[in-house]
Amino acid sequence: MNNPLVQPDPGLYIWTIVTFLVLLGLLAKFAWGPLLQALDGRQAAIRKALDDAQQAKTELERLHHESAQIVAKARQEADAIITRSRADAEALREELRAKARAEADGIVKNAERQIQAETARALLQIRHEAVDLSVAIASKIIQRNLSREDNERLIDETLKQLH
Amino acid sequence: MFALLLQEHAPEHAGETAGKFDAGKTIIDHVSNSGLDHPLIHLPTIAGIDFSVTKHVFMLWLVAAAVFIIVTATIRAYLKQDRLVPTGFMNALEALVEFIRDSIATPNVGRKWVNTYTPLLLTFFVFIFSANAIGLIPLFDVLGLVNHFVIHADEQSFLARVVHGGTTSTANYNVTGALATITFLSIIVAGTKAHGFVKHWMNLVPHGLAWPLYILLIPIELMGMFVKPFALTMRLAANMTGGHIAILAILSFVFIFTEMFSQAFAGIGVGLAVSVPLAVGISALEIIVVLVQAYVFTLLSAVFIGMAIHVHH
Repeated sequence: MNNPLVQPDPGLYIWTIVTFLVLLGLLAKFAWGPLLQALDGRQAAIRKALDDAQQAKTELERLHHESAQIVAKARQEADAIITRSRADAEALREELRAKARAEADGIVKNAERQIQAETARALLQIRHEAVDLSVAIASKIIQRNLSREDNERLIDETLKQLH
Repeated sequence: MFALLLQEHAPEHAGETAGKFDAGKTIIDHVSNSGLDHPLIHLPTIAGIDFSVTKHVFMLWLVAAAVFIIVTATIRAYLKQDRLVPTGFMNALEALVEFIRDSIATPNVGRKWVNTYTPLLLTFFVFIFSANAIGLIPLFDVLGLVNHFVIHADEQSFLARVVHGGTTSTANYNVTGALATITFLSIIVAGTKAHGFVKHWMNLVPHGLAWPLYILLIPIELMGMFVKPFALTMRLAANMTGGHIAILAILSFVFIFTEMFSQAFAGIGVGLAVSVPLAVGISALEIIVVLVQAYVFTLLSAVFIGMAIHVHH
Protein backbone atom coordinates (compact mmCIF):
# COMPACT_ATOMS: atom_id res chain seq x y z
CA MET A 1 0.00 0.00 0.00
CA ASN A 2 2.92 2.32 -0.56
CA ASN A 3 1.72 3.20 -4.04
CA PRO A 4 0.17 6.66 -3.75
CA LEU A 5 -2.34 5.76 -6.49
CA VAL A 6 -4.17 3.40 -4.12
CA GLN A 7 -3.61 5.31 -0.88
CA PRO A 8 -6.85 5.63 1.08
CA ASP A 9 -7.41 9.27 1.98
CA PRO A 10 -10.51 9.78 4.14
CA GLY A 11 -9.86 13.51 4.30
CA LEU A 12 -10.04 13.82 0.54
CA TYR A 13 -13.11 11.58 0.51
CA ILE A 14 -14.95 13.81 2.95
CA TRP A 15 -13.75 17.00 1.27
CA THR A 16 -15.09 15.69 -2.03
CA ILE A 17 -18.51 14.96 -0.57
CA VAL A 18 -18.62 18.36 1.13
CA THR A 19 -17.42 20.20 -1.98
CA PHE A 20 -19.86 18.37 -4.21
CA LEU A 21 -22.83 18.90 -1.90
CA VAL A 22 -22.05 22.60 -1.51
CA LEU A 23 -21.71 22.97 -5.28
CA LEU A 24 -24.93 21.01 -5.79
CA GLY A 25 -26.79 23.17 -3.30
CA LEU A 26 -25.51 26.43 -4.73
CA LEU A 27 -26.07 25.45 -8.36
CA ALA A 28 -29.51 23.99 -7.65
CA LYS A 29 -30.55 27.15 -5.86
CA PHE A 30 -29.02 29.78 -8.11
CA ALA A 31 -28.64 28.14 -11.51
CA TRP A 32 -30.38 24.83 -12.25
CA GLY A 33 -33.60 25.51 -10.38
CA PRO A 34 -34.40 28.87 -11.97
CA LEU A 35 -33.21 27.65 -15.36
CA LEU A 36 -35.33 24.48 -15.31
CA GLN A 37 -38.29 26.55 -14.21
CA ALA A 38 -37.68 29.00 -17.05
CA LEU A 39 -37.34 26.15 -19.55
CA ASP A 40 -40.60 24.63 -18.32
CA GLY A 41 -42.19 28.06 -18.56
CA ARG A 42 -40.95 28.49 -22.09
CA GLN A 43 -42.19 25.04 -23.00
CA ALA A 44 -45.60 25.90 -21.61
CA ALA A 45 -45.56 29.22 -23.47
CA ILE A 46 -44.71 27.52 -26.76
CA ARG A 47 -47.40 24.91 -26.21
CA LYS A 48 -49.91 27.64 -25.40
CA ALA A 49 -48.90 29.67 -28.45
CA LEU A 50 -49.35 26.63 -30.68
CA ASP A 51 -52.70 25.85 -29.10
CA ASP A 52 -53.76 29.46 -29.53
CA ALA A 53 -52.71 29.42 -33.16
CA GLN A 54 -54.68 26.20 -33.71
CA GLN A 55 -57.68 27.69 -31.99
CA ALA A 56 -57.40 30.90 -34.02
CA LYS A 57 -57.19 28.84 -37.19
CA THR A 58 -60.29 26.87 -36.27
CA GLU A 59 -62.06 30.07 -35.35
CA LEU A 60 -61.02 31.67 -38.62
CA GLU A 61 -62.28 28.66 -40.55
CA ARG A 62 -65.55 28.81 -38.70
CA LEU A 63 -65.89 32.53 -39.41
CA HIS A 64 -65.02 31.95 -43.04
CA HIS A 65 -67.65 29.26 -43.28
CA GLU A 66 -70.15 31.46 -41.52
CA SER A 67 -69.46 34.45 -43.73
CA ALA A 68 -69.79 32.29 -46.83
CA GLN A 69 -73.10 31.10 -45.49
CA ILE A 70 -74.20 34.66 -44.83
CA VAL A 71 -73.19 35.77 -48.32
CA ALA A 72 -75.02 32.84 -49.89
CA LYS A 73 -78.09 33.60 -47.85
CA ALA A 74 -77.91 37.31 -48.73
CA ARG A 75 -77.58 36.47 -52.40
CA GLN A 76 -80.57 34.17 -52.17
CA GLU A 77 -82.54 36.86 -50.44
CA ALA A 78 -81.51 39.46 -52.97
CA ASP A 79 -82.60 37.12 -55.75
CA ALA A 80 -85.91 36.63 -54.03
CA ILE A 81 -86.32 40.37 -53.60
CA ILE A 82 -85.51 41.02 -57.23
CA THR A 83 -87.92 38.34 -58.41
CA ARG A 84 -90.62 39.61 -56.13
CA SER A 85 -90.13 43.23 -57.08
CA ARG A 86 -90.12 42.29 -60.74
CA ALA A 87 -93.43 40.51 -60.26
CA ASP A 88 -94.72 43.44 -58.24
CA ALA A 89 -93.72 45.88 -60.95
CA GLU A 90 -95.35 43.70 -63.56
CA ALA A 91 -98.52 43.55 -61.52
CA LEU A 92 -98.43 47.26 -60.90
CA ARG A 93 -97.94 47.96 -64.57
CA GLU A 94 -100.79 45.65 -65.43
CA GLU A 95 -102.98 47.35 -62.87
CA LEU A 96 -102.04 50.82 -64.06
CA ARG A 97 -102.64 49.85 -67.62
CA ALA A 98 -106.04 48.42 -66.75
CA LYS A 99 -106.87 51.49 -64.73
CA ALA A 100 -105.75 53.81 -67.54
CA ARG A 101 -107.76 51.84 -70.00
CA ALA A 102 -110.78 51.96 -67.75
CA GLU A 103 -110.32 55.66 -67.24
CA ALA A 104 -109.95 56.27 -70.95
CA ASP A 105 -113.03 54.23 -71.56
CA GLY A 106 -114.85 56.27 -68.96
CA ILE A 107 -113.72 59.52 -70.58
CA VAL A 108 -114.78 58.35 -74.03
CA LYS A 109 -118.16 57.21 -72.73
CA ASN A 110 -118.62 60.43 -70.92
CA ALA A 111 -117.74 62.40 -74.02
CA GLU A 112 -120.15 60.35 -76.08
CA ARG A 113 -122.85 60.85 -73.55
CA GLN A 114 -122.14 64.54 -73.44
CA ILE A 115 -122.15 64.72 -77.21
CA GLN A 116 -125.45 62.91 -77.26
CA ALA A 117 -126.86 65.21 -74.66
CA GLU A 118 -125.57 68.27 -76.51
CA THR A 119 -126.97 66.94 -79.77
CA ALA A 120 -130.30 66.30 -78.18
CA ARG A 121 -130.33 69.73 -76.69
CA ALA A 122 -129.34 71.27 -80.01
CA LEU A 123 -132.03 69.35 -81.76
CA LEU A 124 -134.53 70.46 -79.21
CA GLN A 125 -133.38 74.02 -79.62
CA ILE A 126 -133.58 73.76 -83.41
CA ARG A 127 -136.97 72.30 -83.02
CA HIS A 128 -138.03 75.23 -80.85
CA GLU A 129 -136.53 77.69 -83.27
CA ALA A 130 -138.29 76.01 -86.14
CA VAL A 131 -141.56 76.17 -84.29
CA ASP A 132 -140.99 79.81 -83.53
CA LEU A 133 -140.11 80.55 -87.12
CA SER A 134 -143.11 78.66 -88.37
CA VAL A 135 -145.28 80.54 -85.99
CA ALA A 136 -143.74 83.81 -87.08
CA ILE A 137 -144.10 82.96 -90.77
CA ALA A 138 -147.60 81.83 -90.22
CA SER A 139 -148.55 84.95 -88.37
CA LYS A 140 -147.01 87.11 -91.02
CA ILE A 141 -148.89 85.27 -93.75
CA ILE A 142 -152.08 85.64 -91.86
CA GLN A 143 -151.51 89.32 -91.12
CA ARG A 144 -150.98 90.44 -94.67
CA ASN A 145 -153.27 88.08 -96.58
CA LEU A 146 -151.63 88.74 -99.78
CA SER A 147 -151.67 87.49 -103.25
CA ARG A 148 -149.73 84.56 -104.46
CA GLU A 149 -147.05 86.79 -105.77
CA ASP A 150 -147.07 88.78 -102.60
CA ASN A 151 -146.89 85.58 -100.67
CA GLU A 152 -143.95 84.36 -102.56
CA ARG A 153 -142.29 87.75 -102.16
CA LEU A 154 -143.08 87.67 -98.52
CA ILE A 155 -141.64 84.21 -98.14
CA ASP A 156 -138.50 85.35 -99.90
CA GLU A 157 -138.30 88.42 -97.68
CA THR A 158 -138.74 86.41 -94.62
CA LEU A 159 -136.16 83.90 -95.77
CA LYS A 160 -133.80 86.77 -96.45
CA GLN A 161 -134.49 88.12 -93.03
CA LEU A 162 -133.73 84.73 -91.60
CA HIS A 163 -130.35 84.89 -93.12
CA MET B 1 0.82 20.90 -29.54
CA PHE B 2 2.73 23.64 -27.82
CA ALA B 3 1.19 22.68 -24.52
CA LEU B 4 2.30 19.12 -25.02
CA LEU B 5 5.83 20.19 -25.73
CA LEU B 6 5.79 22.06 -22.48
CA GLN B 7 4.39 19.02 -20.74
CA GLU B 8 7.27 17.11 -22.22
CA HIS B 9 9.65 19.25 -20.22
CA ALA B 10 7.93 18.63 -16.97
CA PRO B 11 9.19 15.07 -16.38
CA GLU B 12 12.65 16.41 -17.07
CA HIS B 13 12.24 18.69 -14.11
CA ALA B 14 11.15 15.84 -11.89
CA GLY B 15 13.91 13.62 -13.23
CA GLU B 16 16.57 16.16 -12.49
CA THR B 17 15.65 16.46 -8.85
CA ALA B 18 15.89 12.68 -8.49
CA GLY B 19 19.33 12.68 -10.00
CA LYS B 20 18.65 9.77 -12.30
CA PHE B 21 15.47 9.68 -14.37
CA ASP B 22 12.95 7.24 -12.93
CA ALA B 23 9.96 6.99 -15.31
CA GLY B 24 7.71 5.14 -12.82
CA LYS B 25 8.28 7.60 -10.01
CA THR B 26 7.83 10.61 -12.32
CA ILE B 27 4.60 9.26 -13.74
CA ILE B 28 3.16 8.40 -10.34
CA ASP B 29 4.14 11.85 -9.10
CA HIS B 30 2.22 13.45 -11.99
CA VAL B 31 -0.90 11.36 -11.57
CA SER B 32 -1.30 10.84 -7.84
CA ASN B 33 -2.33 13.28 -5.18
CA SER B 34 0.34 15.32 -3.42
CA GLY B 35 1.24 13.52 -0.19
CA LEU B 36 -0.44 14.28 3.12
CA ASP B 37 3.05 14.89 4.56
CA HIS B 38 3.37 18.00 2.37
CA PRO B 39 -0.16 19.39 2.07
CA LEU B 40 -0.93 22.78 0.56
CA ILE B 41 -2.71 23.93 3.70
CA HIS B 42 -2.26 22.19 7.03
CA LEU B 43 -5.55 21.48 8.77
CA PRO B 44 -6.06 19.56 12.02
CA THR B 45 -6.71 15.85 12.17
CA ILE B 46 -10.20 15.14 13.51
CA ALA B 47 -11.14 11.61 14.64
CA GLY B 48 -8.11 10.19 12.86
CA ILE B 49 -9.00 11.90 9.58
CA ASP B 50 -6.47 14.38 8.21
CA PHE B 51 -8.43 17.27 6.72
CA SER B 52 -5.36 18.96 5.23
CA VAL B 53 -5.84 20.49 1.82
CA THR B 54 -3.88 18.41 -0.65
CA LYS B 55 -3.50 19.06 -4.36
CA HIS B 56 -6.66 17.14 -5.24
CA VAL B 57 -8.74 18.97 -2.63
CA PHE B 58 -7.36 22.22 -4.03
CA MET B 59 -8.27 21.08 -7.57
CA LEU B 60 -11.79 20.15 -6.45
CA TRP B 61 -12.27 23.61 -5.01
CA LEU B 62 -10.82 25.27 -8.06
CA VAL B 63 -13.13 23.29 -10.34
CA ALA B 64 -16.18 23.81 -8.11
CA ALA B 65 -15.55 27.55 -7.93
CA ALA B 66 -14.97 27.85 -11.68
CA VAL B 67 -18.06 25.78 -12.47
CA PHE B 68 -20.22 27.72 -10.04
CA ILE B 69 -19.09 31.12 -11.29
CA ILE B 70 -19.32 30.31 -14.99
CA VAL B 71 -22.62 28.42 -14.85
CA THR B 72 -24.37 30.76 -12.45
CA ALA B 73 -23.17 33.92 -14.21
CA THR B 74 -24.29 32.59 -17.58
CA ILE B 75 -27.70 31.43 -16.36
CA ARG B 76 -28.30 34.57 -14.30
CA ALA B 77 -27.47 36.79 -17.28
CA TYR B 78 -29.80 34.70 -19.42
CA LEU B 79 -32.69 34.79 -16.98
CA LYS B 80 -32.37 38.54 -16.45
CA GLN B 81 -33.57 39.21 -19.98
CA ASP B 82 -37.18 40.13 -20.65
CA ARG B 83 -37.39 37.77 -23.58
CA LEU B 84 -35.47 34.55 -22.96
CA VAL B 85 -33.20 34.42 -25.97
CA PRO B 86 -30.10 32.28 -25.33
CA THR B 87 -26.89 33.70 -26.78
CA GLY B 88 -23.28 32.57 -26.90
CA PHE B 89 -22.25 30.12 -24.20
CA MET B 90 -25.82 29.92 -22.96
CA ASN B 91 -26.76 28.06 -26.16
CA ALA B 92 -24.33 25.27 -25.26
CA LEU B 93 -25.38 25.26 -21.62
CA GLU B 94 -29.04 25.13 -22.54
CA ALA B 95 -28.42 22.30 -24.97
CA LEU B 96 -26.58 20.43 -22.19
CA VAL B 97 -29.34 21.07 -19.64
CA GLU B 98 -32.03 19.96 -22.06
CA PHE B 99 -30.00 16.92 -23.10
CA ILE B 100 -29.51 15.78 -19.52
CA ARG B 101 -33.10 16.55 -18.60
CA ASP B 102 -34.74 15.01 -21.68
CA SER B 103 -32.34 12.20 -22.62
CA ILE B 104 -30.90 11.11 -19.27
CA ALA B 105 -33.25 12.14 -16.46
CA THR B 106 -36.71 11.80 -18.03
CA PRO B 107 -36.34 8.27 -19.49
CA ASN B 108 -34.87 6.95 -16.23
CA VAL B 109 -36.52 8.70 -13.31
CA GLY B 110 -39.76 9.55 -15.12
CA ARG B 111 -41.68 12.76 -15.58
CA LYS B 112 -42.80 12.99 -11.98
CA TRP B 113 -39.29 13.21 -10.53
CA VAL B 114 -37.43 14.85 -13.37
CA ASN B 115 -37.10 18.26 -11.76
CA THR B 116 -35.99 16.67 -8.47
CA TYR B 117 -33.03 14.76 -9.90
CA THR B 118 -32.01 16.85 -12.91
CA PRO B 119 -30.04 19.34 -10.75
CA LEU B 120 -28.10 16.45 -9.21
CA LEU B 121 -27.36 14.88 -12.58
CA LEU B 122 -26.43 18.24 -14.09
CA THR B 123 -24.05 18.92 -11.23
CA PHE B 124 -22.54 15.45 -11.60
CA PHE B 125 -21.95 16.07 -15.28
CA VAL B 126 -20.50 19.59 -15.17
CA PHE B 127 -18.41 18.86 -12.08
CA ILE B 128 -16.95 15.57 -13.31
CA PHE B 129 -16.48 16.89 -16.82
CA SER B 130 -14.67 20.01 -15.61
CA ALA B 131 -12.52 18.04 -13.15
CA ASN B 132 -11.62 15.58 -15.93
CA ALA B 133 -10.98 18.30 -18.49
CA ILE B 134 -8.75 20.46 -16.32
CA GLY B 135 -6.35 17.49 -16.17
CA LEU B 136 -5.87 17.75 -19.93
CA ILE B 137 -4.62 21.31 -19.62
CA PRO B 138 -1.01 21.36 -18.36
CA LEU B 139 -1.69 24.44 -16.23
CA PHE B 140 0.52 23.42 -13.33
CA ASP B 141 3.27 22.05 -15.54
CA VAL B 142 3.54 25.48 -17.16
CA LEU B 143 3.44 27.05 -13.72
CA GLY B 144 6.21 24.66 -12.62
CA LEU B 145 8.34 25.65 -15.60
CA VAL B 146 7.81 29.33 -14.93
CA ASN B 147 8.74 28.73 -11.30
CA HIS B 148 11.78 26.67 -12.23
CA PHE B 149 13.19 29.14 -14.72
CA VAL B 150 11.81 32.54 -13.72
CA ILE B 151 10.39 32.83 -10.21
CA HIS B 152 12.53 30.37 -8.20
CA ALA B 153 10.01 30.27 -5.38
CA ASP B 154 11.02 28.85 -2.02
CA GLU B 155 10.48 25.07 -1.63
CA GLN B 156 8.06 25.69 1.24
CA SER B 157 6.04 28.36 -0.59
CA PHE B 158 2.49 27.69 -1.81
CA LEU B 159 3.54 28.14 -5.43
CA ALA B 160 6.34 25.58 -5.20
CA ARG B 161 4.05 23.06 -3.55
CA VAL B 162 1.01 23.59 -5.77
CA VAL B 163 2.90 22.44 -8.89
CA HIS B 164 3.38 18.98 -7.41
CA GLY B 165 0.84 16.23 -7.74
CA GLY B 166 -1.73 15.32 -10.37
CA THR B 167 -4.18 17.90 -11.60
CA THR B 168 -6.95 15.42 -12.34
CA SER B 169 -8.79 15.00 -9.06
CA THR B 170 -11.18 12.48 -10.66
CA ALA B 171 -8.18 10.19 -11.24
CA ASN B 172 -8.13 9.64 -7.48
CA TYR B 173 -10.46 6.90 -6.37
CA ASN B 174 -11.06 8.67 -3.05
CA VAL B 175 -12.72 11.42 -5.07
CA THR B 176 -14.67 9.14 -7.38
CA GLY B 177 -15.60 6.99 -4.41
CA ALA B 178 -17.04 10.06 -2.71
CA LEU B 179 -18.99 10.94 -5.86
CA ALA B 180 -20.25 7.36 -6.10
CA THR B 181 -21.27 7.62 -2.43
CA ILE B 182 -23.47 10.55 -3.43
CA THR B 183 -25.06 8.30 -6.05
CA PHE B 184 -25.40 5.48 -3.49
CA LEU B 185 -27.18 7.80 -1.05
CA SER B 186 -29.29 9.29 -3.86
CA ILE B 187 -30.53 5.81 -4.74
CA ILE B 188 -31.68 5.25 -1.17
CA VAL B 189 -33.22 8.74 -0.95
CA ALA B 190 -34.98 8.27 -4.30
CA GLY B 191 -36.38 4.87 -3.32
CA THR B 192 -37.48 6.17 0.06
CA LYS B 193 -39.14 9.24 -1.42
CA ALA B 194 -40.97 7.19 -4.04
CA HIS B 195 -42.02 4.18 -1.94
CA GLY B 196 -41.35 4.95 1.70
CA PHE B 197 -38.39 3.76 3.74
CA VAL B 198 -39.49 0.20 4.48
CA LYS B 199 -40.96 -0.40 1.04
CA HIS B 200 -37.72 0.73 -0.60
CA TRP B 201 -35.73 -2.00 1.16
CA MET B 202 -38.45 -4.55 0.40
CA ASN B 203 -38.15 -3.56 -3.26
CA LEU B 204 -34.56 -4.77 -3.36
CA VAL B 205 -35.75 -8.31 -4.02
CA PRO B 206 -38.75 -9.49 -6.08
CA HIS B 207 -41.93 -10.34 -4.20
CA GLY B 208 -43.70 -13.65 -4.02
CA LEU B 209 -40.84 -16.10 -4.53
CA ALA B 210 -40.27 -19.37 -2.72
CA TRP B 211 -38.43 -18.64 0.56
CA PRO B 212 -35.24 -20.60 -0.21
CA LEU B 213 -34.61 -18.27 -3.12
CA TYR B 214 -34.45 -15.32 -0.77
CA ILE B 215 -31.51 -16.86 1.03
CA LEU B 216 -29.70 -16.57 -2.26
CA LEU B 217 -31.21 -13.34 -3.53
CA ILE B 218 -30.91 -11.07 -0.52
CA PRO B 219 -27.10 -11.33 -0.29
CA ILE B 220 -26.82 -10.92 -4.06
CA GLU B 221 -28.99 -7.81 -4.10
CA LEU B 222 -27.19 -6.36 -1.07
CA MET B 223 -23.91 -6.94 -2.85
CA GLY B 224 -25.35 -5.34 -5.99
CA MET B 225 -26.21 -2.28 -3.97
CA PHE B 226 -22.51 -1.78 -3.22
CA VAL B 227 -21.19 -3.04 -6.53
CA LYS B 228 -22.98 -0.30 -8.45
CA PRO B 229 -21.16 2.62 -6.79
CA PHE B 230 -17.95 0.59 -6.67
CA ALA B 231 -18.11 0.17 -10.44
CA LEU B 232 -18.74 3.91 -10.82
CA THR B 233 -15.73 4.64 -8.60
CA MET B 234 -13.29 2.39 -10.42
CA ARG B 235 -14.48 3.17 -13.94
CA LEU B 236 -14.01 6.91 -13.59
CA ALA B 237 -10.75 6.81 -11.60
CA ALA B 238 -9.13 4.19 -13.82
CA ASN B 239 -10.16 5.93 -17.03
CA MET B 240 -8.81 9.22 -15.81
CA THR B 241 -5.57 7.69 -14.61
CA GLY B 242 -4.98 5.45 -17.62
CA GLY B 243 -4.84 8.10 -20.31
CA HIS B 244 -2.51 10.29 -18.30
CA ILE B 245 -0.18 7.40 -17.54
CA ALA B 246 -0.11 6.48 -21.22
CA ILE B 247 0.76 10.04 -22.27
CA LEU B 248 3.42 10.38 -19.58
CA ALA B 249 4.93 6.96 -20.38
CA ILE B 250 5.20 7.83 -24.05
CA LEU B 251 6.76 11.20 -23.23
CA SER B 252 9.19 9.44 -20.86
CA PHE B 253 10.80 7.85 -23.91
CA VAL B 254 12.48 11.20 -24.54
CA PHE B 255 14.36 11.02 -21.24
CA ILE B 256 14.91 7.27 -21.29
CA PHE B 257 16.56 7.51 -24.70
CA THR B 258 18.56 10.57 -23.67
CA GLU B 259 19.98 8.63 -20.71
CA MET B 260 20.45 5.46 -22.71
CA PHE B 261 22.60 7.14 -25.36
CA SER B 262 23.87 9.93 -23.11
CA GLN B 263 22.89 12.33 -25.83
CA ALA B 264 20.05 14.84 -25.89
CA PHE B 265 19.76 14.33 -29.67
CA ALA B 266 18.54 10.77 -29.30
CA GLY B 267 15.85 11.80 -26.87
CA ILE B 268 14.71 14.78 -28.93
CA GLY B 269 14.69 12.65 -32.07
CA VAL B 270 12.57 9.96 -30.49
CA GLY B 271 10.40 12.69 -28.96
CA LEU B 272 9.65 14.40 -32.28
CA ALA B 273 9.31 11.16 -34.25
CA VAL B 274 7.34 9.00 -31.81
CA SER B 275 6.42 10.55 -28.48
CA VAL B 276 4.81 13.82 -29.52
CA PRO B 277 2.65 12.40 -32.35
CA LEU B 278 1.50 9.55 -30.11
CA ALA B 279 0.89 11.85 -27.16
CA VAL B 280 -1.15 14.19 -29.39
CA GLY B 281 -3.20 11.23 -30.56
CA ILE B 282 -3.83 9.99 -27.04
CA SER B 283 -4.66 13.52 -25.90
CA ALA B 284 -7.25 13.72 -28.66
CA LEU B 285 -8.62 10.39 -27.45
CA GLU B 286 -8.59 11.75 -23.90
CA ILE B 287 -10.89 14.60 -24.94
CA ILE B 288 -13.45 11.98 -25.90
CA VAL B 289 -12.80 9.91 -22.76
CA VAL B 290 -13.23 12.98 -20.56
CA LEU B 291 -16.66 13.63 -22.09
CA VAL B 292 -17.73 10.01 -22.19
CA GLN B 293 -16.76 9.26 -18.58
CA ALA B 294 -18.65 12.31 -17.30
CA TYR B 295 -21.61 11.19 -19.40
CA VAL B 296 -21.39 7.56 -18.26
CA PHE B 297 -21.21 8.50 -14.58
CA THR B 298 -24.23 10.78 -14.98
CA LEU B 299 -26.18 8.27 -17.03
CA LEU B 300 -25.51 5.34 -14.69
CA SER B 301 -26.42 7.45 -11.68
CA ALA B 302 -29.71 8.30 -13.41
CA VAL B 303 -30.27 4.63 -14.27
CA PHE B 304 -29.62 3.50 -10.68
CA ILE B 305 -31.89 6.22 -9.25
CA GLY B 306 -34.50 5.27 -11.82
CA MET B 307 -34.26 1.60 -10.81
CA ALA B 308 -35.05 2.54 -7.22
CA ILE B 309 -38.09 4.57 -8.34
CA HIS B 310 -39.48 2.23 -11.00
CA VAL B 311 -38.99 -1.21 -9.55
CA HIS B 312 -39.36 -4.02 -12.03
CA HIS B 313 -37.94 -7.46 -11.60
